[in-house]
Amino acid sequence: MIWMVKLMLVIFIVSSAILLFAMGFPKNPEKKKMIFGVRDNPKFHEGEAAAKVKAISSSCRRSALIITVIVCVMSLILLFLPETDITVHGLTMLVFGMFLIAVPFGKGNTELKNLKKELGITRSGVVYSDLTNTNVIHSLKLPWIILPNAVTLAATVAAVLIDFGVFNIVPAVEKYALTMMSLSFLFVALLFLPIAVMMDNTRNMVISKDSNINANYNRAKKKTWADMMISMSWANALFLVGYLILITFVNNDAVMVAGIIVYIVMIMTVVMIGVLNQKAVEKRYERDTDLELQDDDDNWILGMFYYNPNDTRLNVEKRFGYGGTVNIAHPAGKVIMIITALLLIVSIGFIIWGAVTGNLDAASVNWPS
Amino acid sequence: MIIKIDEYSDVPIYMQIRNQIVMGISSGELKGGEQLPTVRALALEIGINTMTVSKTYQLLKQEGYIMTDRKNGARVRENIAQSGVISDSNRTELKRIVSEARLSGVSKEELKELIDGFYSE
Repeated sequence: MIWMVKLMLVIFIVSSAILLFAMGFPKNPEKKKMIFGVRDNPKFHEGEAAAKVKAISSSCRRSALIITVIVCVMSLILLFLPETDITVHGLTMLVFGMFLIAVPFGKGNTELKNLKKELGITRSGVVYSDLTNTNVIHSLKLPWIILPNAVTLAATVAAVLIDFGVFNIVPAVEKYALTMMSLSFLFVALLFLPIAVMMDNTRNMVISKDSNINANYNRAKKKTWADMMISMSWANALFLVGYLILITFVNNDAVMVAGIIVYIVMIMTVVMIGVLNQKAVEKRYERDTDLELQDDDDNWILGMFYYNPNDTRLNVEKRFGYGGTVNIAHPAGKVIMIITALLLIVSIGFIIWGAVTGNLDAASVNWPS
Repeated sequence: MIIKIDEYSDVPIYMQIRNQIVMGISSGELKGGEQLPTVRALALEIGINTMTVSKTYQLLKQEGYIMTDRKNGARVRENIAQSGVISDSNRTELKRIVSEARLSGVSKEELKELIDGFYSE
């Protein structure tokens, strides 16, 4: 049964690695609005500078491609290696390893910022705001995201009641395994809600002097985010409900693992559709060239982390990947980043500790075998 | 209506917002009775302190361009009092602009044409 878990991890790793590569390292970055988190500048397209931009982007793209190929090949090798816990731990480590693709992205960002200095591109502190659209452009309908998360909550309550013997219908399940599983899904559901609200409240971009175009662009962009968060919430809720039903009536390991694979495929599909929709929106709405560029590249550390003490906003649109991120200079942003970093360090440390000492198996719930 | 804020300008941000709202009212982009964003919403949108926007609105209210109340927020005044005179500060500013234009070799006719253009906008 371990092979199914491994297959599940490989599907997740390969699709995520390819998605990260496609999003961060497009073939013709000079045609995009952002190149490695640095805003495109007309001077980037002139003579020698154009050649330098091309060289930087090609070199970083090559490095990213090598990392992506290594991650994909290693995960496929681990899939076909004998079914031991070490191969599973190796695959789990690859989940974190695929984020190494951020290294060439950060390198490209630093080199482009240096090029900007060479070209004498001075920082512009221009910010546009559309008074007509301020605080009125929203696409998230709260009931639509509360409903699936309420379903997750109800399923969690049911799981806890089953686990504690109030409904005595599942005799063969490991003690508290259902509670642990459902609480983790509820935790994810509770994360979706504030993230969706935050993304719906991100600042409206001004891409045109026409307020209607700005309104349509921002509404379309926020709709893709809202749709993605709602779909992910539904995937979360449906999986948990399905899992409870399966464990009650089927209680078969193979069916369980197949369910998890379906869940991962669902999540990946939702993310891919979201990214494609976002790309379509960006393609449909061109920015007015006579609007001065807002240059806040220096506030983007490696093009991935936003740090601007002069900006009172907490959430801003991401430059690498999809969706939003937080302003680390904001007090709440600091707390969020520290918690995220701690969670990441603890997770990696836990896996390494488990793999080295073999204690992970003792700590985990019944591993399907 | 689009407003443009320059963080590195010598003009304070509250004054930049004030000036552009006044220009918007004058050009008709902002119509009488039109709702302005709340202090908090505009501050969040631009990424500045709420006190800065509050200061702008207080100034615009004092000057009679907008009216504010707890229920409806800030709105552009339907009937802006017309004194028919140029304020002393604007007169001084205009004198400076004309002087600089003269020193730059701009003719009187060109300047008049420019003023005519702005006036009829």
